Amino acid sequence: MTLAPAIEVHDLVVGYDALNAVRGVSFTLPRGGRMGLVGESGSGKSMTALALMGLSPTGWHAAGQVLHDGVDLITETDTSFSKRRGRTISMVFQDPMSSLNPVRRVGDQIADVIHRHSKVSRREAMKQALDLMVQMNMPRPEQLARSYPHQISGGQKQRIMIAMALACYPQLIIADEPTTALDVTVQKQVLRLLNAAARDRNTALLMITHDLPVIAAMCDTVAVMYAGRIVEHGPVQEVFRSPRHHYTRGLLDSQPTMDNIALDGSSRLGSIPGMVPPLHNLPTGCAFHPRCAAASEKCRAEMPELGANGAACWHPVKEKAE
Amino acid sequence: MSAIATNKPAKSRRRPRWLSNTALLLGIVISVAFLAIALLSAFYLPHNPNVPRIPDRLLPAGSPGYVLGTDVLGRDILSQLMVGARTSLLVGAGGALISLIIGTVAGLSAAAFGRIADETISRGADILLSIPGIVTALVLAATIGSGALTTVLALSAFFTPSFTRVIRSAAMSVLQEDFITAARLYGRPTWFILLRHILPNVAGVIIVQFTLFFAAGILTEAGLSYLGVGVTRPSISWGMMLNEAQQQVGISSPLAMWPGLAIVTVVLGLNLLGDGLRDVLDPRLSRRGA
Amino acid sequence: MTLYIVRKLAFFLLAVFAASIAIFLLIRGAGGNVAAIILGKDATADAINALAQQYGLDRPMVVQYFDWIGNIFRGDLGRSFRTNEAVTDLVVSRLSISIPLCVSGLLLGLLIAIPAGTYSALNSDKPLGALITILSQVGIAVPVFWAGILLSLLFGVRLGWLPTGGWTNWSADFWGAVRSLVLPIISLGLILGASLTRYVRSAVLDVMNQDYVRTARATGMTRMEALLQVGLRNAALPIATVVGLQIAELIGGTVIIETVFSLPGLSRMILANVAAREVIVVQSTVMLIIIFVMFINLIVDLLYGVLDPRVRLAR
Repeated sequence: MTLAPAIEVHDLVVGYDALNAVRGVSFTLPRGGRMGLVGESGSGKSMTALALMGLSPTGWHAAGQVLHDGVDLITETDTSFSKRRGRTISMVFQDPMSSLNPVRRVGDQIADVIHRHSKVSRREAMKQALDLMVQMNMPRPEQLARSYPHQISGGQKQRIMIAMALACYPQLIIADEPTTALDVTVQKQVLRLLNAAARDRNTALLMITHDLPVIAAMCDTVAVMYAGRIVEHGPVQEVFRSPRHHYTRGLLDSQPTMDNIALDGSSRLGSIPGMVPPLHNLPTGCAFHPRCAAASEKCRAEMPELGANGAACWHPVKEKAE
Repeated sequence: MSAIATNKPAKSRRRPRWLSNTALLLGIVISVAFLAIALLSAFYLPHNPNVPRIPDRLLPAGSPGYVLGTDVLGRDILSQLMVGARTSLLVGAGGALISLIIGTVAGLSAAAFGRIADETISRGADILLSIPGIVTALVLAATIGSGALTTVLALSAFFTPSFTRVIRSAAMSVLQEDFITAARLYGRPTWFILLRHILPNVAGVIIVQFTLFFAAGILTEAGLSYLGVGVTRPSISWGMMLNEAQQQVGISSPLAMWPGLAIVTVVLGLNLLGDGLRDVLDPRLSRRGA
Repeated sequence: MTLYIVRKLAFFLLAVFAASIAIFLLIRGAGGNVAAIILGKDATADAINALAQQYGLDRPMVVQYFDWIGNIFRGDLGRSFRTNEAVTDLVVSRLSISIPLCVSGLLLGLLIAIPAGTYSALNSDKPLGALITILSQVGIAVPVFWAGILLSLLFGVRLGWLPTGGWTNWSADFWGAVRSLVLPIISLGLILGASLTRYVRSAVLDVMNQDYVRTARATGMTRMEALLQVGLRNAALPIATVVGLQIAELIGGTVIIETVFSLPGLSRMILANVAAREVIVVQSTVMLIIIFVMFINLIVDLLYGVLDPRVRLAR
């Protein structure tokens, strides 16, 4: 028996008033799969994530279809969606410093999630919370569980957040830049934990980041977002090795590697000319065309859809000869 | 999170735009009208508000010669209200102005001159804040006697600590900006930074707070005069008129309506003006406060 | 927490001390010769000197100050010059009116402000939310005594449901006493509620935009649960601070509203003594009020410590 995908998104549109930050996003993430979602700030990746959780900011609307666990999440009421959040679908946020309730002990915050979604007693929930903290490599969990958020480090807070997200063995975890707020030395440990824990539970992972190496290391597929649309989507290896969309190409070229950083200071780091267009003034056709060297009249007039090659581009980059 | 997701909807949800715009407009109209009437009262009054005319006593509103009628001694209500506007202006603005001057100096000093200055001024302000304004007014009334000047003093004593705290925290947040660090590294003396960089940056806060304390001053003055420890005849205050109306003709008198309406209108107007100015002048504050 | 309590307690004592010096100096310094004030303009120098001697007003200021403070802590607030009544007796009998009035007014204000402010914070786009915002804005501009006058006009004069003034003792007629306090409490509570509503509104808005509320929702709380279990719990912190700051205003409101409804509370006594220039009575009663306000502020500070682990567990 094949399980239904962890999540199936069709034509997701998220917006505020007449402005859409997400303009028709579709993708499917199988059980246990891991997908990276990359893009600059303002590309709509965070709004996509929040819309999947049903947590778009007040005043924002989401339309389209989001199939998960046999229901369309877009049409769920707050009450029935609440019974899923934290149980079948959960999220790890960017800033652990501000994402934990400052007036509640961290152990209780994990136990609260377990207690809310399963029929276990408070005591049993606390025991499971402590187990989770052990799995998160947290030393002396009993003592730590009694701490308040302000008493523990950022890395520990993010482990607590991950423990809360994993507590009920969800089908899908959405991680929105889970490590950008952490020290570089801690980032890797936290990501490794998240990765391992998700794998153990066969939990699908939607990793939102602008850190391309992280995606390369953790994900099977990657989707690149630009101005509210996915412009390229495919297996990580393929996309990174030979990007077909000019935006992806530019994104990869602007990543520092040992090759393109010259020690004499004459950096050969690439950059994309121009700026991300504002929502209220999107270009016609392909939104990337004003910044694209290969843009033609067609790019200005017609919006390309994702093609069989995985890119939404009228003039895809030629496949690189190996 | 992207900036649009957190800030924009939150800010626009705070108050619908049409409501803030209408509010600010209303605030400007009321405040200007109030100032105009207060100024006019210095040059023109329909009648002498302090001269009793017993035959004309307790005329209803709309009587010939007396637009809003007369009180129990036959004194013209409209003229009294006009003088009351002038009193409110002088006492309210006077109290707010004195506390503005002291509060700005103290607040800036607390922010800029190190921990000891800050602790002393802030704790001092905390102590003064827990002395009810009415208590200060009562003590002053018991010792130097009541009157407009006493009321101004009491208001200043009451408002200065709050003013100090607001200016201090505004100055503190400006002090953390990079351009202040730059000025410091450049070797500018503290007083220069205060005058050149901080004061202009907290000017918006000062103007907004002045307007709000002006309104609070009118309200407090009315209360004190109502109690009989504020403004006394021959000066006239709206609070005093309410007191007289209640004592002399009983609570049901229409005399109690006019001064009350005047107070509510003017205080509301100034508050709306202050809030509107805050939205315009100090986006930082308006995002935090209501 | 212990250190926090000790620090707050020390500040309370310091504040009381500083305020007592301020009041003492204000009255003795600004007022000039106390005996002369009491006896009025027409008094002879001999009479003034005699009175000063009788009450020890000719002693050095420092001695007088510590004498006064020492007596206050012993519960002796001095005596009235004219009637020779003990101020303590004067005060205590009046507190049975002033304290219930003040405390119920505060509670009513909170009872109005917390639901109204929360609702308008979450529903500012709905008509009722906007109406609450407008009402609270107007309410802030209404002087408490005018609210009292309007209410007694409506419920006292027009409808005749409740007394517009006067007082019967608690022991003589309990329900009569309650009825006398209803309108004063409502006036006080409405006006206080109007300004508290604004603060509650902005506190709730602030808290509900915090990341941890989003986390609570992401782990399965409905909007209402997140508001009640996480939002209000955190909003309680700024609200407690504001309530502490409003106590001074509340006292002012109580004094005024007692006058509107001619309740023989503390304020009538103070006002009578201000008019009679009974300096010692005013000085002591005022000091009592200040100690009361500072004590409430101390309680609020301690409550804050209980509510906020960041404060409680700080060194």
